[in-house]
Formats: sequence, structure tokens, C-alpha cells
Amino acid sequence: MGTVHARSMDSYPMHGRDLGVNPDDLEVMEAVQETKQEVLENKDVVVQHVNIEGMGRTKEDYLGYEISDVFAARNLVEVMRKSHEARQRLLRLGIFKEVEVVIDVSEGADALPNGLDVTFEVTELKRLTGSYNIYVGNNEGSMVLGIKLPNMFGRGEKLTFQFSYGTKETSYGLSFFKPQSGYYERNFTLNLYKVTGQFPWSSLKETDRGFPLWMTDHTLKWEGVWRELGCLARSASFAVREESGHTLKSALSHTMVIDTRNSAILPRRGALLRINQELAGYTGGDASFLKEDVELQLNRPFIWGSVLSASLWGGMIYPLGAQPTSIADRFYLGGPTSVRGFSMYSIGPQSEGDYLGGEAYWAGGLHLYTPLPFRSNKGGLADLFRTHFFLNAGNLCNLNYGEGPYAHLQKLAECIRWSYGAGIILRLGNIARLELNYCFPMGVQSGDRICDGVQFGAGIRFL
Amino acid sequence: MSVVHVMSLSTAAAEPWPEKATLYQPLKEDQILLSDSASSLAVQTFLRMCGLPVQVSCCANAEYMSPSGKVPFIHVGNQVVSELGPIVQFIKAKGHSLSDGLDDVQRAEMKAYMELVNNMLLTAELYIQWCDDYTATEISRPRYSSPYSWPLNHILAYQKQWEVQRKMNAIGWSGKSLEQVYEDVSQCCQALSQRLGTQPYFFNKQPTELDALVFGHLFTILTTQLTNDELAEKVKSYTNLLSFCHRIEHTYFKEHDRESQSGSPQSIVDIP
Repeated sequence: MGTVHARSMDSYPMHGRDLGVNPDDLEVMEAVQETKQEVLENKDVVVQHVNIEGMGRTKEDYLGYEISDVFAARNLVEVMRKSHEARQRLLRLGIFKEVEVVIDVSEGADALPNGLDVTFEVTELKRLTGSYNIYVGNNEGSMVLGIKLPNMFGRGEKLTFQFSYGTKETSYGLSFFKPQSGYYERNFTLNLYKVTGQFPWSSLKETDRGFPLWMTDHTLKWEGVWRELGCLARSASFAVREESGHTLKSALSHTMVIDTRNSAILPRRGALLRINQELAGYTGGDASFLKEDVELQLNRPFIWGSVLSASLWGGMIYPLGAQPTSIADRFYLGGPTSVRGFSMYSIGPQSEGDYLGGEAYWAGGLHLYTPLPFRSNKGGLADLFRTHFFLNAGNLCNLNYGEGPYAHLQKLAECIRWSYGAGIILRLGNIARLELNYCFPMGVQSGDRICDGVQFGAGIRFL
Repeated sequence: MSVVHVMSLSTAAAEPWPEKATLYQPLKEDQILLSDSASSLAVQTFLRMCGLPVQVSCCANAEYMSPSGKVPFIHVGNQVVSELGPIVQFIKAKGHSLSDGLDDVQRAEMKAYMELVNNMLLTAELYIQWCDDYTATEISRPRYSSPYSWPLNHILAYQKQWEVQRKMNAIGWSGKSLEQVYEDVSQCCQALSQRLGTQPYFFNKQPTELDALVFGHLFTILTTQLTNDELAEKVKSYTNLLSFCHRIEHTYFKEHDRESQSGSPQSIVDIP
């Protein structure tokens, strides 16, 4: 009998959980193409051996879980599909540069007439790799130099050191990552970092030295951050000056994400629900609060290839104990990535032109994305662009916690800022998008800074 | 002493002294150290001598709020000014001055004595607080770090100690022993005592900023409990300085407290 070669379907390896890469970025693979061999399609087979060749420092027991499924295949098509799935799982561990699958008939003394041997030929990553990346965040960019030691002890552990130099902040950090054998989604990460950020809309400079560690799968995270706040300029308002100094935040946070969208950037269908809570103060530190953050997005295809999208954000921070909330913990609103038509984070309570943030906010957006008109062919560069019509609204304020919830809702409902407009979006890979919009801000309250007319935005998370 | 932006002073000159001027210093009970307390008292005395009311507000992060990183600082209208030197200039721009009556020679002398106090007394206070191991462990580090939680309190206290020790290195004081420092203090007090003589104030009848500065330091030394009493003893051996302190306390603090009738947060303790 001849050999059947099942070659790799795509040419690039997938990456594991990296510092700074959102789990939303991992692309969901579409349906697998199956090469059907008519003759063997319905023939029953038994997978006798599954081998992995080419392992150097990786420990065998670590990979057992990923490939165990292949044994359950009953006919050739299933073998090929399950091998392909196993190959995906091996690649996403982030420890192999390439994985090839070879399916062959069994040979040897105990070979059955319908037995198959599946071999995964792997090429491990080098012990030490360097990297140079450019990151695009919300209206900021940074250059990141990294040194990575993948698969340090043979079970998928990864040690990374990163140095990042950006338009708004510089930082460096050391990160240790260890996945649980068999459950890649459950992993343990330890981070040590120092970040300095500048927030000119509040005349604030913040230096964080942090120590978060978290487990994913309903992400549970503990974070210890030493923050140093200072004034950016002598002319900073006194309200910001009063917040200068050192604080220590020790917080437990939990995030739940349900994402059925087909893509993180410009999805055609699906919904996203993200709920995050953070409790600070019960594990030490100065800051003491309970913070809730909700994000909801619904997408639906509409007529003529366009997509209708609605999103809603909301959040609240409740100080526990006598101390008021720190400017570094409060919410901010406004800018090309949230309520468009207003300057970056320039909505809400402010003092002498410095924005202090608020304890509660909500923001909503309604969008219509349409492909570029007059395109000649599908695919190509024009596919990365969309035109977009939007309606954004939102409010940010401080709540008086003595009053009941009805009073809070009333306070959030008065003085609503809103805006509408249209623009062009450019999609960058599967991670970021650039927007150029023409905005009409409305409902502007005294103290807000607006950006009416043309506004440019770049980022990964948009309202 | 750092020089404050001169332009902002000239624009502030037009505004009168507001009701709600505030002076910021570290927490009085638990946090403030000898050197900061002395500087703060000097500024408060100066403002009282000028007849300008000011509220004293204690914040744990006063040191970081200050534009120059040193306490005390005053918040007047829109202006924030720190340290005695710049504050004196700021007040002068507003039209109040204690040293107008002095001629040039006297003014130069006053500046020289103020430099002496800053270079000798203030540096000695910093040395005793941070470079003497026993005092640093028993008093300075616990007090400095009291508003913060673990482990930030230890980190900040040690950072501050290293910073002061580096400064002592830079000015050549790290080689001195505690005894030598006490000797320096004694010599400084002798110079001050000789200049004061039998006069009520350093420049005869009218108090100046020099009087405020000397009072701030000497009074704080006399009334602060350190690990031992040597520093206070050095000052006490000069009787005219003692009576100088009594006099200023009586004139500017007792009287004012009697007038204001409120439980002033800065109740001055009697000199033993």
C-alpha cells in the first residue's frame, strides 16, 4: 500500500499567549479542507502508533494530551482531520517552529492490516530568540525589543524580557509563563514590570512597578502595583497635585469573556460580552475599591454587504473605606476610540483644564460599516477599507454613594454627550484599525474639550 | 535653595493675600521629622511676623506634592511656592517685607547668617536623622514610612535614607562622626549667640526672616524628643538664644492663639 502524506494546510505557525497580545487576536480557523481519497473513505482503520519525532528538550509527557485524540479516529478521513487538529494544538503551544504530519500504514511485527501510524515531525524553537515589534495601542505606538527563552524546562515554560519605548510610555518587564499540561488555556503567568506613562490630558505622570500573576480560563488575576504619580508641569492643577506621591495597589481581578464574533476587528456577525471586576485593598496595599467594567458588542450583517454594529460600555468604581479613589483608578471617556468628536479622555470632571476622571460612566455606539463603493473586484487592498457611519453617546461623572440607585441612574442620564459622523476605516491585520472620521460633537458640557471636524484614531478597542 | 520662576511672582504681585492660604507639611503626629518640622515652623513664624494668616494642612504626600520636592510649601490663590527663600521673595512681590529697613551691609550679613543656619544647622539635623544608624532605625525610618503599607514603607524609607547619605557624601559630611557634628552645631550656636548679643532680635528692634529661620530651627531642636538630649543641651548652653526663643514664642504664638480661640492644630509645647 502507498503512503498518504497529509501536509500542512497553512504556512505560518501560531503563537502562544504573548505579553501584550490580546487573546481575542488568535484567529479561529475556518472549516478544514479535506482531501478525500474516494477509495479509502469508508474503510475502517485503527491508529496503532502515534509518534513524535524531532524532540530535543521537550518532555514527552507534556505532549501526550495534545495528540491523544488521534487514537480515537475510526476511518481515514477522521484520522486526517484529527491529525490536523492535533497539529494545530501542538503549534499553539508556542514551542515548535514547524509541525508536519505523516500518516503511513503500520509496519512491524504487530501491524494490523488496517493499522495506521501517525508521525508528527516537529522542529523545536531555538533556546534563545530575540524579537523586535511595533505595537499600536489606543492612539499610541511603541517599539518593543524582546528576548525570549521558549520551552525552558521542556514543558512549555517561557521566560520573556521586554523593553518597550513608546510615544506615551516606556516600560520594561520580565515575564514567566507556564501552561498546565493538557489544558493550554489554563496557565500561570508571573510578570514583573516598570512602566512610566504620561497623561497630558490630566497633566499627570505615572510610574508603575508591578507584579501581576494570573490564570486564564475565566481570567483570574492578582496584581501588585507600586504607583508613583507626579505632575507633568508646574502648571498642573492643584487637584492633580494633591494626588502626587506613592501608592501601592494590591488587587484581585476576574474577567469573563464570551466572544462569538468571527473576527476581533470589523466582525461581520457575532457578539462579545466582557465583564471584569477588580477588588483592591483586601490583600494589602493603600488603594481600596471595588471596580466593575462591562463591554457588550452586537454585530449583524445588513443589506448590500454592510454590517450593523451596536456597542455598550459601562463601569463603576466604588471606594471601600475612608479614602477617596485615586486618579489612576478612575474611568476616562472621550477620544477617537471611545466617544468620537471629543478630545482624548476630555469628558467629565476637570479642574483648570486637567481631567480628573470619574467614578461611573456609560458609553454607547451605533455603527454602519459598508464596503468601499465602486470597488471593481473582491479581495485586494480595497477589502481592508470600510466606510462607516456612527452615532456615539456617553457620560462620565462622580456618584454620590449615599443616594440610592435611582439617583445614580438619573445622574448618569443628565448631561449626555453625543456625536455623529462618518469616516473611513483601515484594518491592520487582525489586531488594530485606523480610523479617519468627520465628527459632529453634540451635548457638549462646559469643561469638555471637543475635536469637531476631522479626527484620526488608531487602536485595538473602539466603541 | 532653589529659585522660583520670577515671571509668575510678578503676575501674582497684584493679587491681595487671600483668606484661604494654606501651608502643607507632612503629618504632624506620626510622620514629620525634625528637619522638616524646623523648616515648617520657620515659614509659619515668618508669615506670622508679616501678619499674614495661613492655615496649616497636614498631608502624608506633602513632600511629593511640593514643586521642588521639599516641605513646607504654601498654596496661595493659584500659586504654589515651596521653601523659605522663595516664599520670602514671593511675599516681597506682594508688598510685605521684613527686611526693608536694612541697609545693604546688613542685608548681606543677614543672608550670610541664613546661609550659616542652612549649611550648619539644617545639615546637622539631616545627618543626625539619617546618617546616625541608631536614630535612623528607631525614629526616622519608622516615622517617615508610617503612612504607607508594606512593603512600600520599607522601600521608601530606605530610598530616602540613601538619598540623604549620598548628599552627605557630596558635601563631605560623611566622614564626620556624631561628636564632630555636635561640635559644629555648638559653634554655629555660638556665632548666632554672639551676633544676637543682648538685642531682642538679630537686627535690633524689628524681626526679620533670619529671626524666623533661627527660631524655627532652635525651637524645634529644643522641643523634639530624639534618642538623646545632646543636641538640645548644646543649644541650651546659650542663654540668650533660649530667651530669644521664649520671646518669639510668647509674642507670635501665644498671643495669636489667645486671639483665635480655636483649638489650633499646632499647639506649641512649652520649652522645658
